[in-house]
Amino acid sequence: MKFTWKWLLDHLETDRNISEILDTLPKLGLEVASVINLAEDLKSFISVEIIDIKKHSNADNLNVCKVFDGKNTFSVVCGAPNVKLGMKSVFANVGTFIPGLNLKLKKGKIRGEESFGMLCSEKELTLSEKHEGIIELEETSELGLSVSDIMALNDPIIEIEITPNRGDCLGVRGIARDLATAGMGTLKELHVKLNDGEFDSIVNWQIDLDQDNKYLCPKIFGRSFTNLENIESPLWLKKRLLAVDQRPISSIVDITNYIMIDIGRPLHAYDIDKIKGNTLRITKSKKGQNFFALNGNKYTLDDDMLVICDEQGVDDLAGIMGGERTGVTKDTTKMFLEAAIFDPISIANTGRKLNLHSDARYRFERGLDYDSPEFVMHYAAEMVKKICGGKVSKIVDFKLELHNKIIKFNPDIIYQLTGVKIENELSKSILEKLGFKIVPSEKFWHITPPTWRSDIDGSADIVEEIIRVNGYDQIPSTKLSRSNYIPKPAMSNKHRQAFFASRTLANRGYNEVVTFSFLNKAMTDQFNGGSFSLNLVNPISTELTDMRPSILPNLLSAVRKNINIGAQDLSFFEVGPIFKGDSPEEQISTITGIRYGEKIKKDWKNGVILFDFYDVKLDVIKTLEAIGTPPNSLKIYEEAPCYFHPGRSAVFKIGKTLIANFGEIHPEIIDYFGLNKSAIGFEIFYENIPLPKRNKISRPMLKISNLQPVTREFAFLFDQKLESEKVCQVVKSVNKDLITDVIILDIYNGEKIPRDMKSLAIKVTIQPTQETLTDAALEEISVNLINAIEKKLSGTLREM
Amino acid sequence: MVSELKEDLQNLLNDIISGISNSETPSELEDIRINSLGKNGSVTLYLKNLRNYDIKTKKEIGTYLNEIKKQIIKSITDKKNLFKKKYLKEKLKTEKIDISLTPYESDIGTLHPLSRTIEELCAIFADMGFSIVEGPDIESDYYNFTALNISEEHPARQEHDTFYLQPDIDGQRKVLRTHTSPVQIRTMEKIDLKNFDEIRYIIPGRTYRSDHDATHSPMFHQCEGLVLGKNINMGHLKGCLIDFCRTYFNESNLPVRFRPSYFPFTEPSAEVDIGCKKESDGSLVIGEGEEWLEILGSGMVHPKVLYGVGIDPTKYQGFAFGMGLERLTMLKYGIPDLRPFYDCDLRWLKHYGFLPVDNPSLHSGLNGVFS
Repeated sequence: MKFTWKWLLDHLETDRNISEILDTLPKLGLEVASVINLAEDLKSFISVEIIDIKKHSNADNLNVCKVFDGKNTFSVVCGAPNVKLGMKSVFANVGTFIPGLNLKLKKGKIRGEESFGMLCSEKELTLSEKHEGIIELEETSELGLSVSDIMALNDPIIEIEITPNRGDCLGVRGIARDLATAGMGTLKELHVKLNDGEFDSIVNWQIDLDQDNKYLCPKIFGRSFTNLENIESPLWLKKRLLAVDQRPISSIVDITNYIMIDIGRPLHAYDIDKIKGNTLRITKSKKGQNFFALNGNKYTLDDDMLVICDEQGVDDLAGIMGGERTGVTKDTTKMFLEAAIFDPISIANTGRKLNLHSDARYRFERGLDYDSPEFVMHYAAEMVKKICGGKVSKIVDFKLELHNKIIKFNPDIIYQLTGVKIENELSKSILEKLGFKIVPSEKFWHITPPTWRSDIDGSADIVEEIIRVNGYDQIPSTKLSRSNYIPKPAMSNKHRQAFFASRTLANRGYNEVVTFSFLNKAMTDQFNGGSFSLNLVNPISTELTDMRPSILPNLLSAVRKNINIGAQDLSFFEVGPIFKGDSPEEQISTITGIRYGEKIKKDWKNGVILFDFYDVKLDVIKTLEAIGTPPNSLKIYEEAPCYFHPGRSAVFKIGKTLIANFGEIHPEIIDYFGLNKSAIGFEIFYENIPLPKRNKISRPMLKISNLQPVTREFAFLFDQKLESEKVCQVVKSVNKDLITDVIILDIYNGEKIPRDMKSLAIKVTIQPTQETLTDAALEEISVNLINAIEKKLSGTLREM
Repeated sequence: MVSELKEDLQNLLNDIISGISNSETPSELEDIRINSLGKNGSVTLYLKNLRNYDIKTKKEIGTYLNEIKKQIIKSITDKKNLFKKKYLKEKLKTEKIDISLTPYESDIGTLHPLSRTIEELCAIFADMGFSIVEGPDIESDYYNFTALNISEEHPARQEHDTFYLQPDIDGQRKVLRTHTSPVQIRTMEKIDLKNFDEIRYIIPGRTYRSDHDATHSPMFHQCEGLVLGKNINMGHLKGCLIDFCRTYFNESNLPVRFRPSYFPFTEPSAEVDIGCKKESDGSLVIGEGEEWLEILGSGMVHPKVLYGVGIDPTKYQGFAFGMGLERLTMLKYGIPDLRPFYDCDLRWLKHYGFLPVDNPSLHSGLNGVFS
């Protein structure tokens, strides 16, 4: 909502200055978005007379002019077609900032002729878009004066953001009322001469709505005007409209726009000569009806949109936009003016369906002053008569009796809800200044909100009105009590798991990223997603159409992007949601990571080692360990989803529950992303991890032995297909108390052993607990171990 | 006789000691040891001859001889240690490496500034008794709008730029939540009023709006707050949010302004601004100067919202707030642009990210000093 300072003063009697007003507006909930003070911006532009013109020696369409500011003469090169001797115009000296060009003027040579400044167009001063010629000032203008004084530009333009509940402040008068209530002056009376009209209106209303739908148009007023001259509006009116971004069109249209900004009341003017018949019918549209709007577009209407029709068809989309056919033009001499109250919901629905925005719709949706149609009939008549002359008819109207909304209000609630103590008398006075009517009874006040505040609905709204005028700075600042709790962690176990996992992964070299939750369709299909229910109706681009079934494609894109800008070795992870369906249970939190490139780079000390399956397997194990999953609780299977390499991927499960997928990404996908090395990824479904059952914070007693551990090494021959990890499990099971560690030293499948076989060398650590082990005891363990391997895994001992 | 013998022994000792001290190699020293204390060494021979003397002499000379022997052993040991030291010194001279070299090792990773901010918020609000809850990103129209007093036609809805999912067989369209506020409703629905005293929750999460330009991203993050109890009023809202702003921005005198505003699900509503100064290069100095910067929205939970989830607004009241996490992060850490948050550019992540060892907390600090 834009208005000018002087416009505000039409409604507000005040001795406050503009900065006091600007400070007060946000305190009332009217946020100041911008203040444009053209006078300030344009103070260096001065009036000059052109005292000499000669053709530029090197350019036909340029002139070299001498300009005089009353004291000095300047030489200026000028290309404007309208330049003439004796003309008074606007001059900017060297060093002046030209807002319309966004540059500071420098002395320059234009095709060999020196120029010491510039003669300016309206565009260069940001007054309008006009740039065909330089500004022509009145012949009587004094020289050497600031242009802002001469052109009366010293009226700052203020723009404020209006929240959806404050439709009343979509007019200058509403803003003035709020300021007056806040002690910034007094609201001026609007002196409007009542004009009952000289003749019966040419056009009449017909309400064509059944009883159940009458609420759609509870009030509609109109009157006819004849013998009009729809001339160009007077300068003051055009200037005001331009200042608030309304394009002056013709005086009738300009008056309706002016009144809309002035008191927040949209109007619609019909050209009576173009109305077929003499009745305007308020009714609901039928599907397929066409409507040609004032903005030049054609709209095909749906059922049940509120419209105003003549005998030929739709003339007005109620509360949104008038029709082209019956709109006023420069030739209009007879005009019918409409002011109505329409149902905001109906208007919002229609506007949304047709995607048609207008200043009128904006105001109707936010609620208009219910009493405004009566008043505006007289207010507009006065303005039209003054500017366009002519005669005014009697008013034709239709209105439903509306019962006033009365709110039962207990003033104690002000303190209860806000903690601020306000005297009842002060509260009453604030409300009354805002236009509320109060009838106090013993405990409650019976409050009638003003007709322009349809947003006021209950006690909380009334409290807000009182405390915002009283000042939010008067609300005490109270600490939340600590009496009800002892300090406790804000995080649940799930958050803590994500938190610890992130730190573990970052410590292992992964960089955390955040990526969009949506992907393109091709990717979601590749990663087992792409269900219809997860497809966006209105995606922002074709690359972001479907909710992701995995974070891996996002991370692969991240790898690709970084390689494009010269990175080589990348490790990324993200903690975030994936989607299996559109219900809350089908949103799954995962920790997903990817590694690509060299784990160890070649330098003077080390040789190259690429990241492989085993590195990521360890990342997964270490991360799971950090979030409460001991490695021995995990079982490994070859069941990774299809987007992994079938032979170089695996899953971890606890029981039947999937805990993690990991492994090399399928070569086809690597290829799709244009990568030339394999990427190794993982997905941890940490919500599936069973939480530790331990309730106690204290830990079991530590038992440690001071006896020296003993190590023994063995080598066995196995079937090539044997899962090596099984050897460790079997060895440990031989003596769970004493065998504390088994390490696979070497895996060999070369020429020295039969094909289809492999040799595994292991080192076993035996930790005595009670007493040092005798040779015989050690020998017994070795024999048991060899037997167990032979029996359970068909392994045979190799001579070392 | 005894004294002569002693004199001889003294001379012998002197010879041996000077031999030890003059010895130049460990093998020379070893020779001296053998020649003096060895099987046929000079001192050993004296000891062997002891048996030829009378008891008194035997005792006296014996004691004397043992003394000499001890002295010789000590001298040899000292000399040996001296040789060892000398040897080590020579050896160390040859063991010099190029200390200027550093082997390559890849850097440890970083945590994203957004998760950092969430952790900082957790630390601050945990201190005020809050705990975290979360809700789904895909919401029904009811939770995202209707239950929050935003009806289908409400003008506020148009400002939300909502993403819709394909309608189900009944024509119902789910939405990507446009704010974290629906979790307020989900949380309040779960309250068991029989055992209810007070709740304090923060709700961080992803939010979505179909808007994409330099200052808008189709996905962004918000953190919601909700406090509900019997005696919670707007003064608590103010106290809580002033404390939050000052702690988060590490400015104990940070000016904080509450300004009337409008949200359909709170009444009264307040926008919260902090004081700042705009530098000529466009950067901001938080806590100085005359200008105000909007950082969060808040208000008392609307009676209609409470009523809608079965809570009697005359018995319980509370406040809610919501803030944009990208914006908070940018302001605090001087990050100029929004888009790189989601671009995964390693250079950006390393520059603006945080080391995993830097765990934000009230005791170790919230401002990432070493990161």
